[in-house]
Amino acid sequence: MKTLLIAVLAALAGSVHAADKPVVLAGADLYTVSHGVIPRGELLIEGGKIAALGAKVDAPAGAERIDLSGKRIYPGYLAANSNMGLTEVDAVRATVDQAEVGAVNPNARALVAVDADSELLPVARANGVLSVLVVPQAGDDGLLTGQSALIKLDGWTWEEMSLKEPVGVHLAWPSTRVPPWLPREAQEKAAEAAKKKLGEIDQAFRDARAYRAAKGAGKKDLRWEAMIPVLDGKTPLFVHADNAVQIREALEFSRREQLRIVLVGGVDAWRFADTLKARDVPVILGSSHNLPLRRWEAYDTIYANAGKLAKAGVRFAIANDAQGSSNERNLPYQAASYAAFGLGAENALRAITLSPAEILGVADRLGSLDAGKDATLFVANGDALEDATQVERAWIQGREVNMANKQTRLYEKYQRKYEGKPRD
Amino acid sequence: MRRTMLRIHRPAAALGVLVGLAGSIGGALAQVDTAPVEGLRENTPGLIALRHARLVVKPGQVVEDGTLVMRDGVIVSAGSGAAPADALEIDLAGKTVFAGFVDAQTDYAQVADPAPPASQPPIAMPFSPTPQQGARHWNSKVRPERDVAQQLKPDAKKAETLRKLGFTTVLSAPDKGIFRGQSALVALGESTRANDVLIKPQVAQHLAFELSRFPANEYPGSLMGAIALMRQTFYDTRWQHDRLAWQAKHRDAERLEANLALDALEAPLAGRQPVLFATEDELDYARVLALGAEFKLKLILGGNGYEYREVARIKNAGVPVVVPLAYPEAPAVEDPERALDVGLAELEHWEWAPFNARVLAEAGVPFAITSAGLKKPEEQFWANLRKAVASGLDEQFALAALTVQPATMLGAADKLGTLEPGKLAQIVVADADLFRSDKARIYETWIDGKRYAVASVDTPDPRGVWNLTWRGVNGPASIEIGGDLPDLTAKAGDKSFPVSVGDRRLSLYPPGELVGVKRERLAVVLSLTADGVEGRGQIDGAREFQVSGKLATAKPRVADAAKAKPALPSRERRYPYGEFGRLAPPPAQNLVVRHATIWTQGPQGKLEDADIAVANGKIVAVGKGVKAPAGAVEIDGRGKHVAPGIIDTHSHMAVAKGVNEGSHAVTSEVRIGDALDPTDISIYRVLAGGTTSAQLLHGSANPIGGQSQIIKMRWGADADGLRFENAPPTIKFALGENVKQSNWGDTFTKRYPQTRMGVEQIDLDTFLAAQEYGEALAKQGKSGEPVRRDLRLETVWEILQKKRFVHIHSYRQDEILAFARLAQRFGIVPVFQHILEGYKVADVLAKLGAGASGFTDWWAYKMEVADAIPYNGALMAKQGVVASFNSDSDELSRRLNTEAAKAIKYGDLSEVEAFNFVTMNAAKNLRIDQRVGSLEAGKDADFAIWNASPLSSLAMPEQTYVDGRKYFDRNDDLAERARIETERERLIGKILPERVKALAKKDDKKDKKDDGAKPQFAGSHDGGVTTADLVHFATLRGPYHDGEPVNTCSAQEAH
Repeated sequence: MKTLLIAVLAALAGSVHAADKPVVLAGADLYTVSHGVIPRGELLIEGGKIAALGAKVDAPAGAERIDLSGKRIYPGYLAANSNMGLTEVDAVRATVDQAEVGAVNPNARALVAVDADSELLPVARANGVLSVLVVPQAGDDGLLTGQSALIKLDGWTWEEMSLKEPVGVHLAWPSTRVPPWLPREAQEKAAEAAKKKLGEIDQAFRDARAYRAAKGAGKKDLRWEAMIPVLDGKTPLFVHADNAVQIREALEFSRREQLRIVLVGGVDAWRFADTLKARDVPVILGSSHNLPLRRWEAYDTIYANAGKLAKAGVRFAIANDAQGSSNERNLPYQAASYAAFGLGAENALRAITLSPAEILGVADRLGSLDAGKDATLFVANGDALEDATQVERAWIQGREVNMANKQTRLYEKYQRKYEGKPRD
Repeated sequence: MRRTMLRIHRPAAALGVLVGLAGSIGGALAQVDTAPVEGLRENTPGLIALRHARLVVKPGQVVEDGTLVMRDGVIVSAGSGAAPADALEIDLAGKTVFAGFVDAQTDYAQVADPAPPASQPPIAMPFSPTPQQGARHWNSKVRPERDVAQQLKPDAKKAETLRKLGFTTVLSAPDKGIFRGQSALVALGESTRANDVLIKPQVAQHLAFELSRFPANEYPGSLMGAIALMRQTFYDTRWQHDRLAWQAKHRDAERLEANLALDALEAPLAGRQPVLFATEDELDYARVLALGAEFKLKLILGGNGYEYREVARIKNAGVPVVVPLAYPEAPAVEDPERALDVGLAELEHWEWAPFNARVLAEAGVPFAITSAGLKKPEEQFWANLRKAVASGLDEQFALAALTVQPATMLGAADKLGTLEPGKLAQIVVADADLFRSDKARIYETWIDGKRYAVASVDTPDPRGVWNLTWRGVNGPASIEIGGDLPDLTAKAGDKSFPVSVGDRRLSLYPPGELVGVKRERLAVVLSLTADGVEGRGQIDGAREFQVSGKLATAKPRVADAAKAKPALPSRERRYPYGEFGRLAPPPAQNLVVRHATIWTQGPQGKLEDADIAVANGKIVAVGKGVKAPAGAVEIDGRGKHVAPGIIDTHSHMAVAKGVNEGSHAVTSEVRIGDALDPTDISIYRVLAGGTTSAQLLHGSANPIGGQSQIIKMRWGADADGLRFENAPPTIKFALGENVKQSNWGDTFTKRYPQTRMGVEQIDLDTFLAAQEYGEALAKQGKSGEPVRRDLRLETVWEILQKKRFVHIHSYRQDEILAFARLAQRFGIVPVFQHILEGYKVADVLAKLGAGASGFTDWWAYKMEVADAIPYNGALMAKQGVVASFNSDSDELSRRLNTEAAKAIKYGDLSEVEAFNFVTMNAAKNLRIDQRVGSLEAGKDADFAIWNASPLSSLAMPEQTYVDGRKYFDRNDDLAERARIETERERLIGKILPERVKALAKKDDKKDKKDDGAKPQFAGSHDGGVTTADLVHFATLRGPYHDGEPVNTCSAQEAH
């Protein structure tokens, strides 16, 4: 109930800042994602929403008309696995709030630690990343890491930025995978640690079920309280698992516990494509910009992952590895590498817009250029999946956002130096 | 002592039962003593003749029914003659006599190393030399003066264990340190008096690449550091020699310090003492051989079981090898998901390992076999050696590897290895099929004329048909004893019963009914001699009965016949082994690509519908309608883009066991080139991304790191084959947080420098020291006083002479400026690496002519990258700086093309300008732009054919060429994947049964293995493995790894 209230408040807060005046974006190719490309089309923004789009739209009187001929308009990217806002400088502990201590923290809320003034946010936004799933990370011992929140990269506070919370409870599946060249002691310790962690997961779910069965008869336990929506199937469990052993165990676990899960990471997911399809387990893939796990695997094993999932009909999105918020802006290029090796550009674009919106349950508001959805979109001077392309303007819920950021400011400052101007 | 009771006549062959006692024959001590006699003198005659034995005098020379005569522990003769009249005769009919076996690699008879002194630096402290007692080397891993013979402590129990395997002499080799000390040849007699057992002291000097490991921080902490320390120490030895000679002539000269370590290295350096050099993996051979060649060492390679992979190299070097028999356990393939983590090279090694010795033998490489490395030699040694023989190792070679070969390589061929007159009487009495049958036994060993029984030869073999006479009971008149020792069974009619034999007794356990008594079973113990059996028993507690018998028909064990030689696992030899290895280098092929878009990155710019011609590894023409070179392959380039091979100016790929020698602040003596790993799969993976050259840099853990190595991606070549010929040498320097240890943890606060102030000063001080070194070298001619060759300063001196170029890791503008001013002062022109704030001082860089090689868009992960901006490259380029983008990552290195495109996005450069960031500008920054970086006639034919613009994020290379040779082809790659899958399935299928069996056995008894010294594993709070662990233990990573990212700047370590 409380969380619902927050969501409502957040939605209201968003609308306060939406531009009141209708705007028509005209002349650009509209990459709708949901229904193809509308060449040299028009898109009407009104009340924070996409009011209409097509070859021509009926603009209300007084609507501002922006000529974007030669440009392209895309729905904003949705980065579906990020630590954005929870960390500023990775090496400086005081600026890092991403992993709570201990193994079982399903009650921890990422949303309340999002620094709305992080310098990292405007940098991501400047390349079209407009919505971000902020995910609590696993510390050394972390298993149930907490609750994620979907935010837009606009707002004075995390409350204003919030789009949906909680989106899911996150579980970092333990791994026994240790390079064979590590000391034997390390191998043994890792195996023992993973075994212990598996026991802890089982125990946590048993305890949570016991708590639910007691129906609040005893004292409150924040941890198990947070697990009730997961056990009820109302909130999905996001299981972070990359290698084949982890994925197998996670799938066994979710079947045993009758849970609705989303697989996150999924480096080896293609090896389970048919199972994932059959059980309708959606996948949020990690970055393509990783090396194959194993020496004997083909150089493009990771690049080809998404294409294989697509071919098998698995629902999936493409995201980052949640440790790289400073370069969340490179999300489209991670999608592009998947695109080049079997996924195709169109599918790749969908996997960072509409598909994550569907998996996170916000496809009614985000992910494509469709009438009635939030006017969260950006303008680029070319194919947005290409590194060379520049993102020029962006709107979040109908409000045009400033594309300047720390980096552009430094760029301009030092251009002034070489123009012989004095330091400001 | 000569008694007929010891005579055992043919054909009754004796059998062996383990008795494990020293025999009573040949009591004379074989040495002439210097010690005074206490009590009565012992003067047992020492003339002994072993008769009627099959004598294997040496491999390939056999005397059937021979006589071996020894006197006082020395062999007098071995032939078919009769025994001297006064000799004690021992009949060994049916037995084979070999020369005693020699193990060239053991730790036998050594006292445990004294515990390190209490002053050992605690965890994570900065370098401080551990003082060694005496006038020794400053580095505690350099202790060549250690002489095992001085500390021998014979161990009777261990000696017996080794004797049971047939060993009579072993090399006791020191096993700690880099220069480990000198070994001793020790006989395995039971005397605990070192004087009795020492055969030869100071046999060899022992070397190994031993590193200090995290968290210890003592020099060296990397393979390249270990090599540098070895080189410096050998040069110091030479210098000490010369300096002392000079000093002798100049009586007023300053006295040179004493140094026992250098004294001890004179002999190996003069070729008077062999150097037994331990290796850990197949890449070490080349490293050891290079050191051997540099210092003209008389090398013996300490093998590691992978010799079959490098047999040609070893053969060409003419160096003998000590080969272990430790075969890998069956890899963990029982769980399909976990089996994914076992690589093909590892699966292949499981199949090849038993063939190792055979491959060496067939190649003509001299080798000795050692039991070292076996966890349970008493179970594994003969089983594994026989496995080698079953895998086709000729038995004569196997014998030689235990006798003549070790004796020869250890300089003891005059004493050991054969049964020839004059050799020490060290012999093994065994069955003829010792090398091929698990049923064959060793009966006894003789050391210095003294007999040590392993199994009794005095008890005749009872197998055969016996006629028995019973008195007092009605037993069977005839029984037949059969079976394999020691599990014998007797048959009487349709009944059978157990029999045991030993200690000159034959015990029968017939059921009562067989002898007509009312008892379940009874025991009849008979005395067994060559003449028959005789004995008695008692029934009902009163009635006595007698038995006697004769062996009517003897049926002794028949030796196994030699088996046919199996085929080798494969006739194909790839390099590297396993996945994606090449059978041969790709052929040099003249070719012409036509009608392609050609990104020349040279004066011709970007050409549409153009051709490029390649001959003899060089580009011969670029343009429209070029003439095809002779025999050129024509490639249709329509729709394709041809672009220069990408050059990565900052990489840590293909470096084994440490990219940082982070122990000292200045380590300019270490060389990345000494630690190349040509098996690193990254080389192949980056080829698939169009990258053809890279600079492999030392890390950034210290202000002055090590010498870099520029390579070409000649996947399939060895370390030497990767080197970019004649590339100007470079070196890594570093500034900022890494060198001042800001992010290393709270304990790293003591090593100088800890501030950017100190960094500037240590660079200045080192430059000045190098200048003084250079001046001293110049003056050397005048005084004649030999100047110590200092590899550390010599390298820096090369920088000052502009023979070597600095690549300096840098972030903030203050430190960049500070080094720029130092560079100006010393007249050097560096390339700044990373240089994230270069845009703030681009004017300074341009004026200095310094290059800039940076990341595109990494930022925010630590404080000094807070102001990093992706416009950096473009801003610097616009100020006239030669700017390039690099990877510092084995992952990013395979898509640098798209990184270049970011210079268009961030800074509005043109396509050609942007692509220069990873081609021409990168070549200029490495000063190899005369050879590579653009597609121009006369340059190396290093290029890739792309299916789209190389600046596109959707492009992929279809073919990549180096020196005109096609090192990557996507179609070939697809075929190779299929081969890998097939091979994996075949091998896993073959391994599964053995693995399942091994697992069942493991469940039985939880065997805790001890791997010896355990590096301290940091781990997470609960024992899980962290990224930091991977980085800390990267020095453990040998060849054939998965390419896990351990050597990158983003790993928050110092690179």
